[in-house]
Amino acid sequence: MRILIVEDESRIAKRIEGMTRNIIGDRLQSLKRIDTLQEALEFIETNPLDLVLLDLNLNGHNGFELLGTAVSKPFHTIIISAYKDQAITAFEYGVLDFVPKPFNQDRLALAFKRVTTEILPENKKTKFLAIRKKGRVVLVSVEDVLYVKGAGSYTELFLSEGRKELHDKSLEKLEQLLAPSFERIHKSYLVKLSEISNITVASGSRYMAELRNGESIPIGRTKYKDLKAKWL
Amino acid sequence: MILRLLPCFLLICMLSFMTSCSQDSEPVFKEYRSVYKIGDQQQWAGKSWNDDNWIKRRMAYVADGKVFWSRTPIDILKAPESTQPYGLRLEAYGEYEIFWDGVLIGKNGNPGQEAHLPPEGKLWATFSLPKHLTNKGRHLLALRLSNYYFPDHVGSYRIEVADYEELVTDRLFETSYTHIFAGAFLMASLYFLFLFFSNKKEYPILIVSASCFLFFTLTMTRFVRMAAPIHYKWHVLRLEVISSLMFGISFLIPLFLSLQFPFPKRKLFLSIYAGILLYFFIANHHYFGFSIYRMVVALWFFSLGIALFGAFKRVKGALLMVLILLLCLGLQNTVSLSISLYVGFSLMLLGILYLVFLRTKAQRLAYDNSLVQSTRLRLELLKKNIQPHFLMNTLTSLIDWIEESPKKGVRFIEALAKEFDLFNRIESKSLIPIAQEIEICRNHMEIMGFRKEVNYFWEEEGLDIEDEIPPGILHTLLENGITHSMAGDDNSIRFKLVYHANTNFRSYTFLTFAGGMRPETGAREEGTGFKYIKARLRESYQDKWDFTSEPTAEGWKSTIKIYF
Repeated sequence: MRILIVEDESRIAKRIEGMTRNIIGDRLQSLKRIDTLQEALEFIETNPLDLVLLDLNLNGHNGFELLGTAVSKPFHTIIISAYKDQAITAFEYGVLDFVPKPFNQDRLALAFKRVTTEILPENKKTKFLAIRKKGRVVLVSVEDVLYVKGAGSYTELFLSEGRKELHDKSLEKLEQLLAPSFERIHKSYLVKLSEISNITVASGSRYMAELRNGESIPIGRTKYKDLKAKWL
Repeated sequence: MILRLLPCFLLICMLSFMTSCSQDSEPVFKEYRSVYKIGDQQQWAGKSWNDDNWIKRRMAYVADGKVFWSRTPIDILKAPESTQPYGLRLEAYGEYEIFWDGVLIGKNGNPGQEAHLPPEGKLWATFSLPKHLTNKGRHLLALRLSNYYFPDHVGSYRIEVADYEELVTDRLFETSYTHIFAGAFLMASLYFLFLFFSNKKEYPILIVSASCFLFFTLTMTRFVRMAAPIHYKWHVLRLEVISSLMFGISFLIPLFLSLQFPFPKRKLFLSIYAGILLYFFIANHHYFGFSIYRMVVALWFFSLGIALFGAFKRVKGALLMVLILLLCLGLQNTVSLSISLYVGFSLMLLGILYLVFLRTKAQRLAYDNSLVQSTRLRLELLKKNIQPHFLMNTLTSLIDWIEESPKKGVRFIEALAKEFDLFNRIESKSLIPIAQEIEICRNHMEIMGFRKEVNYFWEEEGLDIEDEIPPGILHTLLENGITHSMAGDDNSIRFKLVYHANTNFRSYTFLTFAGGMRPETGAREEGTGFKYIKARLRESYQDKWDFTSEPTAEGWKSTIKIYF
């Protein structure tokens, strides 16, 4: 796992680093500590990462600027902050977890666990997906997302009114953030349950999910039973 | 409450006053030119005495209080009703006996014996006329006088023949109204005086109080003739008093207005105005009516100028004052000086009361505002230590230190305890000794040292330890320095406080020497820290301060200048 810690308090950064090494152990591929916003932004752009641990208040600056960029990236973001009141907003941006200061190793371990857990319990908080458009980060409301199609390491977001956007996160990572209102009905599709209007059987006993806007999306054989139960 | 009721009360009084003054009915008599003669013969009182060879003009001078006579033919134009006899009111300099068609109808003092006897009699006297001597037609008023005290004021009369009862009572009515006026202004004067005592910086309030008092005194002096008999000997003194009071009022009202509606070169204009007033007061001094008239006109015009400037600058209440002054000027040209003066002044003082009301209101709002502001600053100071960024980061570092080295952890806790204690001690103060502020800074550096693991150093130069500054401002600069600067190669950041004082100002320069500023520092807008510093400076020094903050080659430099 490739991890970046963005924290301007040296003592705390060291603490996070120590705990991370304890928790991740051998799975840790690389770990970097950065204490300024500028450096962090540069590092994110040029280095592949799996996880960023981010402090929201860096040298007196609001870290939401960095957060927008971070959540649009393929990696997951975990916030470690002194401001508990920012937790809701952070979750709306689509962070994996929010660890309030002061924290201990158990709490940090719980956050790391979310990275590897497929479906997160009681996670209905993500309200926006940050996408990169013409070099800028734009927030797309989750309400507008009908379904998501996996396309290799990135994904395509199919939005209401026929719009389409690309997202840098993998389908698996988005599934973690968007469940349980979205369901993985196929290895390449993540669909909002409330958008499914009907489930039909096409020729060749292929199952299809008909959406409210008329589109049809294939349902994976292994997913059919599960989906039917949930949808009904 | 008084403020709200007073204008209504005054308005009612004023209207009553105006109506009482305008009750002029048709005159029932016609007065002819008086003739004079020095000497003393009882026959001179007779109606038919031949006075052809008497002096036809007013005599310039009658020395030593010698007795002289005057004869004034008077036509009664209309005989009185059978039940309502006529009376005669006389305003005359001197002590005299008065004859009507040869009949002695009254005595006012002791003519010819003034030098030996104490002053007796009064300047304004009313006598009843025998009913059988007031038929329509020619009559004769003869006076046997002496004028010991003002030998050059001979034969200056004011005669009025009218219904006796009316003559006796009309001035009582007039006086009762004016006394109500005077009472109201006396109360207003005392009210504003106490208001001034409660806040001795409020000189405009004192000026209003003084104006009200002068106006009260003016009214009392002018109408004292009904309350107490005045001997003619005192009349000039009374006029002197009235004229001086007018002078005072004429200066004080524009002075108040100039404070209310400030204008450039105020002192110069006020001096010129005072000079003009003084000229009017001194030149033709004994033509009291004339000098009073000129002073009043000067007062109206100068005040109008000030109010117009105020209205031009859109000062609240200025427009009302302009209207009032225009009304005063209008009155000046339509009614008698006396009425225009009283009505005008009343209107003027009403306007001033309104201005004082506005002023008090504005001050109360400003005071409320300053209380809110002080409370907010106090909370902001307290918040420095409980805001999550400081508290939670400190606690997280603290936990880490305890886990790693309990001994250092304990030192960290002690520093933290001291920080809380220091803040507790200063939280309610608006100024604290510089030594205390520095203690806070040094302690804060120790805490941040534990957190950031950077070596912070403190230096000071030329400090005056007796000096006081608002709490938390150096601490805020230190916080900024710690947050925005990067440690140099030796992992240290230095802070230096330099004090400088001269005759105009004292200044604190807070310097940060670091390895460099964080890249995002340059673009930063004015943060809450700077706002706090400026608000604290404003709280303690109003506008007499300067605050600048700028990057230097080695770090950062903030300067606080406090002017004396």
